[in-house]
Amino acid sequence: MARTVLICDDALFMRSMLADILKGAGFEVIGEAQTGAEAVKRYKELHPDLVTMDIVMPDMGGIDAVRAIMKEYPQARILMCSAMGQQALVIEAIQAGARDFVVKPFQPSRVLEAVQRVLG
Amino acid sequence: MDLRRFLDLYVSETGEHVRLLHRSLLQLEKEQGGGAVDEAFRAAHTLKGLSAAMGYRTVADLAHVLEDRLEEIRAGRTAPTPALIDDMLARADELEAAIAQAVSTVPQEAAVESSEQDAGTPTSLDAPLPPGTAAVALVRLRADAPIKSARAMIVMRSLASIGGLLGSHPAEFDDDFSGEFFIFFDAVADTAAAEAIIAGAGEVVSVEFMSPDQLRASTVPQPARPAAPPSASADRQIRVDAERLSGIADGIGELSVLFGRLEPQVSGYGPAGEMLTRMGRVLTDLQRDVLQLRLVPLREAFDRLPRVVRDAARTVGRDVELIVAGDDVEIDRSIIDEIVDPLVHLLRNAVDHGIESPEERVRAGKPAAGRIRIGAERERSSVRITIADDGGGVPRAKVVQRARAAGLLPAGASADITDEELFRLLTHAGLSTAEQVSAVSGRGVGMDVVASGIRALGGAIDMHTRTGEGTTFSIRLPISRALALALRVRIGTEQYAIPLTHIAEAVDLNDNVDKAADTVLLRDEVVPLVRLRRMLQVPQGGSEETAIIAVRGDRRAGLVVDELIGREQILVKGFDPAAGTLPYFSGATLLADGRPALVLDPLSVI
Repeated sequence: MARTVLICDDALFMRSMLADILKGAGFEVIGEAQTGAEAVKRYKELHPDLVTMDIVMPDMGGIDAVRAIMKEYPQARILMCSAMGQQALVIEAIQAGARDFVVKPFQPSRVLEAVQRVLG
Repeated sequence: MDLRRFLDLYVSETGEHVRLLHRSLLQLEKEQGGGAVDEAFRAAHTLKGLSAAMGYRTVADLAHVLEDRLEEIRAGRTAPTPALIDDMLARADELEAAIAQAVSTVPQEAAVESSEQDAGTPTSLDAPLPPGTAAVALVRLRADAPIKSARAMIVMRSLASIGGLLGSHPAEFDDDFSGEFFIFFDAVADTAAAEAIIAGAGEVVSVEFMSPDQLRASTVPQPARPAAPPSASADRQIRVDAERLSGIADGIGELSVLFGRLEPQVSGYGPAGEMLTRMGRVLTDLQRDVLQLRLVPLREAFDRLPRVVRDAARTVGRDVELIVAGDDVEIDRSIIDEIVDPLVHLLRNAVDHGIESPEERVRAGKPAAGRIRIGAERERSSVRITIADDGGGVPRAKVVQRARAAGLLPAGASADITDEELFRLLTHAGLSTAEQVSAVSGRGVGMDVVASGIRALGGAIDMHTRTGEGTTFSIRLPISRALALALRVRIGTEQYAIPLTHIAEAVDLNDNVDKAADTVLLRDEVVPLVRLRRMLQVPQGGSEETAIIAVRGDRRAGLVVDELIGREQILVKGFDPAAGTLPYFSGATLLADGRPALVLDPLSVI
């Protein structure tokens, strides 16, 4: 069965690009979220195998969403998607429980490597 | 990510490094202790990195073996004996073949792996080891890994499940973290498991486990690694696909054509005329620049030749030295690729059949070791390559005898023929490819292939040979295959382009013509005339005023045209002549005024 993914990002472009990369590698994108709060809500509904999480999102940021998800689901596998220059935030997210991270602009190979590590 | 996009870059880069590897291995054989071993090591190392990045495991492994041997030599643990050099040369060949094999298949892994950092001197450990340290791992992250501090944290966290983790150096990873760090384990730690975890934590180039003793030994200051190859402006260079350059050249060619058509329509005075004049100058510069961009030094072709001579000489038990000169002369990239085979052929022939056995040479009063010189020089818009051996020369009588037997010469033909006639016999397919002839004549295997290969490049080859003294081949090539300087001539009402590569001059035919013999007297030399109008079956009559003097080796001919219109840069588009076409054309072009014209090959009529 295909592994399921929840994509959280406020930019449609980023969501479609990630979806494209992941679908191309045989993953099933079962949901998308545009805010941190929505990400937490969708996680509870869908229980995806993997979450990709943008750091900066309106409403609730990605790091808070990681904390909220990890608190209830310590086994959750979350991959942070960060832009250049968000070093401190990435470290914070890792400390909050995110398993790995990729940096935009995305290189498909790097995204998939990271996904494999997170799921592996 | 589709690695095929990187394939061209891979091919060109590995090509360079394979050549470097060959050259430096041969150099290493000659003089030990120079920089050759370092150079060879770097080449092997780079080949390994490039191939690993493309997922070509076999190639990377082959390169790795070479790298190891060279490292042994570098470290002074092994001497570069002839046997070892032989072995490494064979491996370099294998490596080259493996690259060719690899690039013909799709890259195996969709992962741009290891843009490997040079395994430089490890970060010295300036901190004391934690008490109880039994094993130390030196971890290097990829040079281009993003947010290395976060990555190092992930590595450390992933090790939490392993017992016996004592800490790391640096202990905290801050923004300045370089990407290299030490991890300390105690005696109970499962280092094999730890190694697997570290290697799988992402963006890790290498994990090296060592004992505290080894660590101390390796961090004593080491002799500095050799500096990178001397490429002062390397970081200011970019690589461009040759195809793209061709595209630019084509575009500029078309611009020139449009320019040529626009020019007569604009008055030479006033702002428009001035702009047009300036535009013309810019165009000319552009054309020259783009031609320059396509030029590469002949070194790229010459580099592999010492190896060819060495191997051929070994096979036949001769001692032959190859002296290379002028390898910095530049020529069009596309010509380089095509000229290697003919040169290899000529050199093998020279070794096989030109250079005599050592005993024979000594008897003839020559040094026992044969000598072949290959040289290149620029001559106006062409490049001349000469290959000269100091062997026994072509046995004229035997070739003539063979030619008589093959019916190429009449039975009673004299053996007293010129070099040119001799060469023509040698390049005759019926003679040159006959196996037994090479044994008898001593020269000529595949010479027809050599000659036709060079002709296809728009070049020419001729030969001079002296019994007992040696043979010299002289090859003249256009600098560029695409752009050529050509004469624009009129015959009847038709216009043709004649590339300048083989043209010496143009003469006025009003004087010095011997109508009966159809020759022209040129500085005391009688030059036969070729009436192009008749040859090309142009119906209209013409004044036949000018002869274009074409040169091929020692021979000259005057190509008679009605008018010499001018000289221009043309972009030759080659074509395969349709059946029944006159065999005098090497391609077609658009003249500056947009008129299409056939490109006449002057050599075809001499």
